[in-house]
Amino acid sequence: MPKPQFKKKRPFQRRKVCVFCADSSMKIDYKDVKTMRHFITERGKILPRRISGNCARHQRVLTTEIKRARNIALMPFSIASS
Amino acid sequence: MRRYETIFVTQPELSDEDHAELLEKLRSILTSLKGDLVKLEDWGVKKLGYHIRKNSRGRYFLMDYLATPNLVRELERNLRLSDRVLKFQTVKISDQVSPEAAQALKEAAPPEGMIKVTERTSLPEEQEEGGI
Repeated sequence: MPKPQFKKKRPFQRRKVCVFCADSSMKIDYKDVKTMRHFITERGKILPRRISGNCARHQRVLTTEIKRARNIALMPFSIASS
Repeated sequence: MRRYETIFVTQPELSDEDHAELLEKLRSILTSLKGDLVKLEDWGVKKLGYHIRKNSRGRYFLMDYLATPNLVRELERNLRLSDRVLKFQTVKISDQVSPEAAQALKEAAPPEGMIKVTERTSLPEEQEEGGI
């Protein structure tokens, strides 16, 4: 006898596509702060993959590039809350 | 030969002569250890992501060159010693550059090797200063 299935209360979300896979001309570079800025929170933290929708490979590259940018002060480690 | 990229930040209030002196020194290291400069970019004064030695701004330079690991060591040693330099970072771009590719890069390099880049805006103005 099949058990009644309970619907999860999570709203349906469209599966996000990795922007770097979608547009192969986009390069991830620590010098290019403009593109990387989309992948950090207001506080300067790196956005998780489940939010940004990046694939594992690109997320990995992005993380190292953001960390490089932070090291040379092109990007902040943290942004103070107002 | 390997290809490296060194980015360094200097004190923003330094005069142009001081900068010229510093760049000259780095160039001489490069030539004495048989490195080849591909390009040298001056990004101008930018706002830093966080304060470095009480500076909220810094002048960015980017050096792209072909060299051997011992040259990088020497270059970084000099950058570390110089109190004009706030921060530096070297990234290896490629592990093996064939002699032909190196020749092509050398020929493509501008004679003085200095390119001023100002359109590269990094930290946008609307972003508030990170108070650290």
